[in-house]
Amino acid sequence: MSKKNPLTEKPLDYMLFKAKREKQFITGSEAVREAVRRANIDIAISYPITPQSETMHLVGDLFAEGYVPEYFRGENEFAVMSQVAGAAMAGARVFTATCGPGTMRAFEVFPMWSGSRLPVVCSFMTRGINAPLTIQPDTIEMAFLLETGMIMLHCETARDIYDFNLAAFIIAEEKDVHIPVGVFMDGFFVTHTRELVDIITEDVCLPKYNPQAAPVPTIDMETPPARLMRDPFVMKSNFVSYVAHASWQQEVRAAAARSKKHIKKYLGELIEIENPAAPTIIVASGTAVSQAREAIKLAKEENIDVGLIKVKVVRPFPKDEIVAALSKAKKIIIPEFNIAGWLAKEVAAVLPDNGRIVATPRVYGGMTMPPEILLEDIKQAVRKQTQ
Amino acid sequence: MSKRITEMCPALNDAMPTEYRELVENGPWLGDKTVKDLGTFKELLEEHPLCAGCNLALSLKIILSSLPNPADTIIVGSTGCSSLGFMQVGIHNIHSLFGNQNAVATGVKRVLSMRFPDKKKDVVVMAGDGATADIGLDMTIHSWFRGEKITTIMFDNELYANTGGQESGMTPAGRVAYMAPLGKKFPKINLFEIAKTSGCHYAVLLTTANTVRLGACVKKAILLARDVGPTYVQIHTPCPTNLKIPPEESIKVAKDSEKERYAFNEYVSEAAKSFLENTGNKK
Amino acid sequence: MKDSRIFIRMSGLGGQGVVTAAHIIGVAAVKDAKYALVNPFFGAEKRLAPTESYVRISSEKIYDRGEVNYPDVIMIFHPHVITMGKSYTMPFYQGIRENGTIIINSDEAVAFSDEDIAAFKKKRLSLYFVPATKTAMSISGTALATNIVMVGMFVGITKTIAEESLRESIAERFGAKKFVASGSTAALDDAIKKKYAKIEQLLESNFKAVSEAIKLSSAIKSVI
Repeated sequence: MSKKNPLTEKPLDYMLFKAKREKQFITGSEAVREAVRRANIDIAISYPITPQSETMHLVGDLFAEGYVPEYFRGENEFAVMSQVAGAAMAGARVFTATCGPGTMRAFEVFPMWSGSRLPVVCSFMTRGINAPLTIQPDTIEMAFLLETGMIMLHCETARDIYDFNLAAFIIAEEKDVHIPVGVFMDGFFVTHTRELVDIITEDVCLPKYNPQAAPVPTIDMETPPARLMRDPFVMKSNFVSYVAHASWQQEVRAAAARSKKHIKKYLGELIEIENPAAPTIIVASGTAVSQAREAIKLAKEENIDVGLIKVKVVRPFPKDEIVAALSKAKKIIIPEFNIAGWLAKEVAAVLPDNGRIVATPRVYGGMTMPPEILLEDIKQAVRKQTQ
Repeated sequence: MSKRITEMCPALNDAMPTEYRELVENGPWLGDKTVKDLGTFKELLEEHPLCAGCNLALSLKIILSSLPNPADTIIVGSTGCSSLGFMQVGIHNIHSLFGNQNAVATGVKRVLSMRFPDKKKDVVVMAGDGATADIGLDMTIHSWFRGEKITTIMFDNELYANTGGQESGMTPAGRVAYMAPLGKKFPKINLFEIAKTSGCHYAVLLTTANTVRLGACVKKAILLARDVGPTYVQIHTPCPTNLKIPPEESIKVAKDSEKERYAFNEYVSEAAKSFLENTGNKK
Repeated sequence: MKDSRIFIRMSGLGGQGVVTAAHIIGVAAVKDAKYALVNPFFGAEKRLAPTESYVRISSEKIYDRGEVNYPDVIMIFHPHVITMGKSYTMPFYQGIRENGTIIINSDEAVAFSDEDIAAFKKKRLSLYFVPATKTAMSISGTALATNIVMVGMFVGITKTIAEESLRESIAERFGAKKFVASGSTAALDDAIKKKYAKIEQLLESNFKAVSEAIKLSSAIKSVI
C-alpha cells in the first residue's frame, strides 16, 4: 500500500452533476486517467497493447502518485483478466484495460466475470483484430463481446470516456446488478485525440467499494464458510445441474437489464435522439456518431433533413427505445467502423419493417470515415426513398 | 477470520444441518491438526464424488487437515478432477477457469494483503498437472517470478483424468495415452527444477504414500509462502480409473514411484532455511 | 464547411516532432478561444518512419476526427515525404481544398511533374519552400528544433494563430509538468533537454526559433 488517497469521498451523482469542472485540452487516454484518479479503486492490473498501453501507463502514474494503492503488469491478457477476477472476488474495486487482440486473448475470462458476478470495470480501446497485423481503430471486437453478459457502454468523445468510466464503477457495483461493465472507446480516434473535456477540479472521489454489501459472498474467509453442497451439480448430467446453469445465465442477463435504471439515473437515456421527426435517421455508436454529426451538417446545407440516434449503451440493448425512436423514420442509415456491421444487425433484429435500414458506410482497417462519404450515402438513401 | 466467526448463532443452532454444527464445533479451525489427528475432528471435506482409490482425493484430505490456519485460508482451484471436490470444502474456494489458477490467486492474495494488513491470509492453489504445467504454465511460473506469496500444489496424476486419460506434459516419456497413441514423445516436464530456478523458496516432490510427511510438507510450504515467498508442492497422485489400477492398490503404485521418478526431493532456499531456523520450525 | 474551419495535415519522418508540432498548434488555438482537435496518425512509433499528425481548428465545435482527408493546409517536414513517398496519402497533396496552402521544409525547390504543377494551379494553391531544418540548426544548434521552426513558419504564413498564444503553448509543452508524452516522444524530450542546462534555455531557444521563423516567412513567396 502506497500513499493515502488525498481525495474526499462523494456520491456519484455529486461527482457527475454538482462537482466543479474545468475545461482541459486532453486526450481520451488522459480522460481515462482522470476518471480513474477519482474512482477510488483498490487495484489496477496492466498489460501493454497499442493503442491501450498509454492509458495503463497513466494509471501507473496514479499508482506512483498515491491515487491507486496497488498496480502491476501481468504476463498476458488472459492472466491479467484472471488476476482482475481474483482481485474482485477478494473484495476489491478493480480497473484494467485492453483492446483488439488482447481482448481476444482474454476472451474466456469475460463470461466468467459475468457469471461470477464480478463488478470489474474494463476499458476497451477498440482496434482491429489480426490477421493481417493491424493496430488501427476498428470496433470489430465489440461484435464478439456482445454475448459475454457484460454491460457495454460506447463512448463518442473524451467527455463520454470520463463520465462513463466514472459511472461504470457504481453501476457495476449496484446490488441488483453486480456484473462487469466494459467501457468502449474507439482506439486512436478518441484515445489519442486531444480535445476539450470538462474535468472535475474539486478534491473529491467516489465512495469506497463495500464488498460486504455485494450480493455474492466475497472470497476472504470473513463471512462464515459453508460446504456448498454434498454432491456438486457441476459436470453432473442431471436436471438440477441443467436448471442451475440455465437459470444462472438468465439471472446474469436479468442483472444487465436491471442496470438500465441506474444507467439512466447517472448517464441519461440509453440513446440520445436529435431531430426525431426527420424522414432519414442515422443510428450510430462511438465515433461514428461524430462523423454522422458532420454529415448531418453537410446535408443541412443541401436542404436534406437528417436525424440522429446515438446509441450509448450497447448492452443491455435499448430495444424499446430504438424501436420507438425509429417508428416514423423512412430510411435508417447505420454507419460503422467494422466489417461485420454488428450495430446494424442488432437494430435489424428488433425493428419491425427493417427493410428501411441502409447499413452503410462501413469503414474498417483503420481509416477514418469522411463525412463527405456518409453524405453520399444519405443522398442515395433519400433518392431511393423518393423514387 | 476470527475463530469466533465460526461459532453458531444460538437461534440457528437447531435449524442448521448436523454436519455444519459439527464443523463449527469441532472443525480444524485452530490449525494445530496434523494427519495423526485424523478421526478426532470434523474434517473440512468428508464426502466427495471422486473415484474409489483416488490418490487426489486422499491428498486433498491430507492437505485440508494440515492447513496451518484454515480459518484464514482461501483455496484457488482449477478445472479437472480436483474441481469436483472443492465445492464441498468448508472454507472459501474459487473455481474460475482452466489454467488460470495462479493468476486468480495472485489477484486474491494482493487484495487480501491490502484489505487485511494485520492478518495472515493464506492463499493456496491446488490444481492438476494439466492445469499447472500445460495450459496454465505461464501463469504458474510468472506468479513465481513475481514472488507472489502463494503456495502452488500440483496433483500429478500424469494425465488428463477428468477428460478421460489424455497425455499431459507430466506424462512420462513413452507412455501410451489418448492423444499419444504411439507413446509420449518427450520426457516428463521437470517442474520441480523449474520451480527452484523461478523464484520458489520451497519445492517438494513427494507421493501420497507417506501421508504424515505429506501433511508436514504442506504445512511448511504454506508457512513459508506466508512470510518468505512462493512455494511449490508436487504430489504424485496416480489415477486408478484411467491407469486401470485396482482401487486398493493405488497407494502402492504411488509408493513404487518413490523408487524412481518420485523419490522424495525437497528444496529449501537460503532465505527459507533461515526463516525456519529463526521460527524454530527446522524440521 | 461554411464555418471558419482550418484543417491541417502534417507529414514528416518519425523523430522530427510532427506530433509535437500538432500539439503546440492545437493548444495555441485553444488559447485563442477556438475549438481544436488534434490527433496523430496511428502507427507504431518508429524513428524515420512516415508519420502524420492532424489539427482541426474552428470557431465552432468540431466533431470530425481521424486523419484529415480534405486539408486546407499541408505541412511537409522533410522532402523525402514527397521524393521517397514517405506519405500516407499519394500524392502528398491529395484532397487539398481550393486556395489551400502547402509548406515544405526544404532548402531548395523540389522538382514537381507537370501533372503536379497543373493540379496546384487548378486548385489555386500557394506553395512555400521553407528552410526549417537549416534555420533550426543555425538558431538552436539542433535539427530537433525543426518542428518549432515549422510551427513558426505556419503561423507566419497563414496568420491562423496569435503569436502570443503560440509562445504560451510552447512554454506549456516544454516547461510545464502537466503534459504527458508517449514513450518514445518522452525519450526524445529527454535527449533534447540534455542539450540545455535548464528548461528556460530550451524555452528561450524555441522562442527565438519561432520569432526567426515568423520573420523569415514574411520574405518567402509562394512559388506558384
